[in-house]
Amino acid sequence: METLTIKENIGDVLKSILGHGNFEMHDELTAKDVDGWDSLSHMMIITKIEEAFNIKFKLRDLNKLKNMGSLVSVIQSKI
Amino acid sequence: MVFNSFNFVGFIIPVLIVYWIFFKKSKVSQNILLLVSSLVFYAWADWRFLILLLISILLNYYLGKKISNTTNETIQRRFLYIGLIFNIGLLLYFKYFNFFYEGFIEILNVFGASASYNTLSILLPLGISFFSFQTLGYLIDIYNEETEPSSNLLEFSVFVSYFPKILSGPIERASKMMPQIQEKRNFTYPVFVDGLRQILWGLFAKIVIAENCAAIANPIFNDYENQSGSVLLLGTFFYAIQLYADFSGYSNMAIGISKLFGIQLMRNFSTPFFSTNISDFWRKWHISLTTWMMDYVFTPLSFSLRSYQKKGLIISIIATFVLVGFWHGANWTFIFYGLLHGIYFIPLVYSGKMNTSEIVAKGKLLPSFVELIKMILLFILIMLTDVFFRAHNVSEAFDYIFLIFSNNIFSIPTEIFSSNYLITTALLFLFIAVEWLHREKSHDFEISHYPFILRWICYIVLYLLILIFGKSAETFIYFQF
Repeated sequence: METLTIKENIGDVLKSILGHGNFEMHDELTAKDVDGWDSLSHMMIITKIEEAFNIKFKLRDLNKLKNMGSLVSVIQSKI
Repeated sequence: MVFNSFNFVGFIIPVLIVYWIFFKKSKVSQNILLLVSSLVFYAWADWRFLILLLISILLNYYLGKKISNTTNETIQRRFLYIGLIFNIGLLLYFKYFNFFYEGFIEILNVFGASASYNTLSILLPLGISFFSFQTLGYLIDIYNEETEPSSNLLEFSVFVSYFPKILSGPIERASKMMPQIQEKRNFTYPVFVDGLRQILWGLFAKIVIAENCAAIANPIFNDYENQSGSVLLLGTFFYAIQLYADFSGYSNMAIGISKLFGIQLMRNFSTPFFSTNISDFWRKWHISLTTWMMDYVFTPLSFSLRSYQKKGLIISIIATFVLVGFWHGANWTFIFYGLLHGIYFIPLVYSGKMNTSEIVAKGKLLPSFVELIKMILLFILIMLTDVFFRAHNVSEAFDYIFLIFSNNIFSIPTEIFSSNYLITTALLFLFIAVEWLHREKSHDFEISHYPFILRWICYIVLYLLILIFGKSAETFIYFQF
């Protein structure tokens, strides 16, 4: 899957969980930059992403997620 | 040696002079001084456990290196487990042994055995809940490749034993604190003055607000069976404020003292009572413990239960908060305290409003009516859980709450017209107003933007209030944890 499509899908997940689209998708985007993306909503986002891409994360993968770029590459490595 | 003592002033002034005048050019000598002072400070508080602290430093330092020296996940995990067993084992033995031992014997008795028990008299090493959580976090972060292990024993020893935070936190993270220890600290006047300001505010919160509230709450709690519902309600109100002023005051002093040495510790309280829901409250209350629990308990737990969606989330939240409660001490009262807070989250999870966290009435002078009502309701809910925090056992806490609602809750207590109530209430108004005005700032008394004259008026007024209304305080509530 192309990076652009992955990002679009992640964007949709974020919008559905957080209820807003006030963020710009770029590789340096972090959870801190997005309103409402905190440790509590994080797990719901992760579950939705797993469903959307039909993949399974490991706990260690989660700890490696530093920004949008790393999220996209972890997803890419699992598809 | 508490921060608000002359002993401490006599201890810190020479250390500061040597640190900034003689050791300003060398990182190593600054760190040696910090380590020696920290060990002296700890030994002063309780010399018997100095060896334990040193063993903890050495073992965690060694394990941190071992975890990162290999890429073999099995070996990494083995060293992590040794660290977990050691650090959690320390806590279990010193803090929870009798609790589990009693529970075990009672279970045996339920099944017909007639076992009796004598609890062991185990002394609790000061600060153990704080430094063992810090070293646990350090090892887990290395295992998760989130932080590099320290390659310098001196720097690591300062990280663990640093005296402003060893007794009651904040529970620091290696990724934030180590880089500051690895660099030479340069004297910066604004930071130094800001530290003094924060100490002054912490001192005011502790010896004026917390101690005056304690003077009202203690007699009520000690004789709660003979009080009317309205007086009991007042008791919980003043205890809730006492608890906050005690620990946030301590934290402000700790962070302020650390600033004097050019080291920024993490913020521990961020005006938590100006919150409109429980999730918001916990983002602002004892932040260093809450974020620790979020990262190392809630995240793995909710991750493993993620397929159960909201139910999994609720179980994870409740389990995390029960643990938060239990962290405070080996008593069912703390477990109930945590459990109630966990339960408070349930409506939020279902309403999907858990993530709405922002500064109340941002940019405005006053909150809206709805915000005010929400803050008051939340305060009342939290205040009731604090009865468990304060009570000696669970049945006493339930008795207390039951009596609030069954024994003349609407009567007007005559005590409120006495001078100590009136004075404490007036001081509370000042305390709350100052915290409200600075709720968007980096700490509760960040007044660097005030004009010079106004700043000095604030300092002098606080100083006088401390002199007139301050009560001597030998300890802090959180020292027992």
